[in-house]
Amino acid sequence: MRRIDDSPMQTNLGSGTRRRLPVFLTFAAMLVLSAGALLYHPGKVVHGQASCGSSGCPTDPGPRPLPAAAGGFFTTLTPNQSAVTTRLTQIFTEVNFVAGGPLVKTVGLGPRFNSNSCNSCHGYPAVGGSSPPSNPLFGIYQLMGATNTMPSFITASGPVLEPRFPYVLGTNTPDGSVHQLFTISNRTDAPGCTTMVQPNFSEYESNNDIIYRQPTPTFGEGLMELIPESSIYANMNSNLTLKASLGITGHPNLSDDDGTISRFGWKAQNKSLTYFSGEAYTVEEGVSDEAFPSENDESIASCLPPFPVPPGTNKTKGVPDDRNDTGEAPKLPVNFPGDLERFSLFMRFLAPPTPVAPTTSTANGLVQFEAVGCNMCHQVSFVTATSSIAALSNQTATLYSDLLVHDMGPFLADNVVQGNASGDQFRTAPLWGIGQRYFFLHDGRTTNIVTAIEDHYSVGNGVYPNSEANTVITNFNNLSLSNQQDLINFLRSL
Amino acid sequence: MSLWTKTNRGQAQPNTRNWLKGILPVAVVLLVGAGVMTYFPKSAKGGTPTVTATDPGPRPLPANAGGFLGTLSANEQQIEPSITAEFERVHDVVVTSPTDGGLGPLFNSNSCASCHAYPAPGGSSPPTNPLFSVYQYNGAANTMPTFETSTGPVLEARFINQPGTTIPDGTVHQLFTITGRSDASGCNVAQPNFSQAASQGNLVLRQVPPTYGDGLIEVVRNSAIIANMNSNLTQKAALGITGHPNYSGNDGSIQRFGWKAQVRSTMLMSANQFQVEMGVTNEVFPTELNQTPGCVLNPVPETVTNFTPGILTEMFPGDYSRTEYFTQWLSPPTPVKPTTITSNGKTQFTNVGCVYCHTTSFTTPATSRPALSNITINLYSDLLVHHMGPVLADGLAQGQAGPDEFRTAPLWGIGQRLWFLHDGRTNNIVTAIEDHYSLGNSTYPASEANQSVTNFNNLSKTNQQDLVDFLRSL
Repeated sequence: MRRIDDSPMQTNLGSGTRRRLPVFLTFAAMLVLSAGALLYHPGKVVHGQASCGSSGCPTDPGPRPLPAAAGGFFTTLTPNQSAVTTRLTQIFTEVNFVAGGPLVKTVGLGPRFNSNSCNSCHGYPAVGGSSPPSNPLFGIYQLMGATNTMPSFITASGPVLEPRFPYVLGTNTPDGSVHQLFTISNRTDAPGCTTMVQPNFSEYESNNDIIYRQPTPTFGEGLMELIPESSIYANMNSNLTLKASLGITGHPNLSDDDGTISRFGWKAQNKSLTYFSGEAYTVEEGVSDEAFPSENDESIASCLPPFPVPPGTNKTKGVPDDRNDTGEAPKLPVNFPGDLERFSLFMRFLAPPTPVAPTTSTANGLVQFEAVGCNMCHQVSFVTATSSIAALSNQTATLYSDLLVHDMGPFLADNVVQGNASGDQFRTAPLWGIGQRYFFLHDGRTTNIVTAIEDHYSVGNGVYPNSEANTVITNFNNLSLSNQQDLINFLRSL
Repeated sequence: MSLWTKTNRGQAQPNTRNWLKGILPVAVVLLVGAGVMTYFPKSAKGGTPTVTATDPGPRPLPANAGGFLGTLSANEQQIEPSITAEFERVHDVVVTSPTDGGLGPLFNSNSCASCHAYPAPGGSSPPTNPLFSVYQYNGAANTMPTFETSTGPVLEARFINQPGTTIPDGTVHQLFTITGRSDASGCNVAQPNFSQAASQGNLVLRQVPPTYGDGLIEVVRNSAIIANMNSNLTQKAALGITGHPNYSGNDGSIQRFGWKAQVRSTMLMSANQFQVEMGVTNEVFPTELNQTPGCVLNPVPETVTNFTPGILTEMFPGDYSRTEYFTQWLSPPTPVKPTTITSNGKTQFTNVGCVYCHTTSFTTPATSRPALSNITINLYSDLLVHHMGPVLADGLAQGQAGPDEFRTAPLWGIGQRLWFLHDGRTNNIVTAIEDHYSLGNSTYPASEANQSVTNFNNLSKTNQQDLVDFLRSL
């Protein structure tokens, strides 16, 4: 049986905080805390368990079948913008090689990588989405002779997952960074690179020092990017009485570049689609770019460009692997500068998923969604600012997210701190498109949307406070089975 | 409270051991009883008081910097006028073309080149403060903060804490607003209360770093920076020098730009500056800094990818890319040809230990832009951050750079520099050297430069002067 923890450890400072404690002060403060608290390793993530109500659980009808209810571009793009969308899609779906690829634009993979194409992981239900039902990494990891082994946590019918190590192995020193699954060792397009090895994931697993993140869908992110900050704050500061009664607070994750609210990633750690594209290209594919012009592992010279590929073939000439065409390439209208800008435009121009037309059941489901309090975090909609991109201007984005991060308790905590998002805090995941989603929660731990709801419940444990969702989940569990089912059906209609 | 922290964004640094190396001494100091450490006021200087060198002052124009790399391709060279024009563009509030406008609502200046001006566009503060012709331009109702002087450096303001609170801030608070400008009717937003911040000890000032050679700095391998960090450890230990990188929270690579090495690349710096210095929103930072009704006068982002085929001359995505290339393609400053004096000065620079932070050179790797490939760059920086003690500490942490830590400032071009140190506190290069010396106090450890500065002070008058002359030859 669950009980409400009566001694929650409140951890965030709440609204409006523009900056965080300097890291140095934080560490100093930690050091003067008792050694016991200091050295406590939060340990392996723990999972919740669905209990639903006294009448049993509603049933997840599962993802709606194809055709995809997402993946199209805004129909309101200008002719000039529309003229480039085909090219944008090509770039997002291109397969990258180490060297010798079919196009200049398709070289630069590695030395470490998770995949070789954006679309392989952002692939379902359409290009730009999230993990497909069949894991694409099995078609990639040994491509072109690569000698990678598949980590045990990647399964053929499971989600694409990228690993992060919360701590430097065997220490309490925070790490938190992505450790790529694969290397280019022994790929035929990386001649001479033979000695780069994968991380010893099983060792990290046995040390409870590994967490996973699945791909986030990108549909509608152009709208999310342009929601005025003032609207996010106004929403944060609304319904405070109700939120207090539910135990909901939440706060933004602020960019340390300009102090504005970051919106993307599981912890809202990235400010914009351009920033995100620049990061993902080097972190996920190892293609260095103009935002992040370093190869992601420089330790083995023979695994760095330029590679000795046959004359006349395309090769990566050095960092950055990908950069803007500053006059070199044929100047066609679709010939945009660097890939990272093209990725960001691709995502920016993708329309949000289209929900199913409401039925009696889903209409009631939305009523229950709001009645139990889901919408106090999963804020139904925002209106975008007036934008220089007309298709994105003054649009209602029905995203079901407040774009804030919230304490989710020990069940979901992953012990990774990112900006203002602490080890148990996550961005309220937008729910649009969830009707065709296969895997849920940051680590894709379940395919069952009912389980995903129940896993929002988590009692504090002295390291992390209660999940802010606890009362809402309790309210959900107290609904009649019929109302629960309607709420589930509503979610699967999105 | 402890969870409202900033360690990193995105992926954390892969090699946290190195920055812990920087954190731990601070923590150790904090754990030591306050009584052990005695506060030494700013006037405390190290070594024996035998500083007799004089600063010959900045070398006169013509500029020894400001040209583009001569090895750029013909295609790259053909857009040099366009990227220069973008760097020098004066922005008004209202967007009138895809490349103009977008200033404010909050801003420090209206053009990159106004502050990055001397000795040539791309440089640092000019002798006459350009803000005096900017702050009330076009009818703006701004008053000039007292810390800006007509013959002083351009300074931007950051607040340590949010005004009136103990909540850490650290962000830039722009000097000016568009209120009163004829192209911003209806906007009424006040300037920050800088005098109050100053009186509360909450005000931090930063001057303008030059950008020459930044395209070379950004491609230096992380491994080269780490290898240099791990070299000469015996000498460094004897001098009290450690230092560590400020890693990107996004990809774990070493950041290089800004006074605390808080920015990774010319691209991100360029986009950041459009937003933070001029208030021009862009595709990297698309959010207006102030959303007071009546002050948001343009659709966002204010500079965007140019989709109009008729003006796709360079097909850049936005203005920030053009200023990215401007700063990426500028040659490093050209030093004066060595003389007997400056050659000896360089020897003394090495002997006293300056060189253990101000690393003479790095070599760039193979790059996809041949003009930047395989070049030895004499930047005189290790691209690490170091404890500089209470005299220079500004109380702001940025990433893994603590409140008393700063990036080793590259010295190339310093021969024509007018102001020194992060806050431009002096125009005398000898004072700048001496200000590297700072005993620890109960908050911060001693400056890592103390022994080197002491060694400098112990040099003969001639050797001191030669060292100073060497610096002014760069």
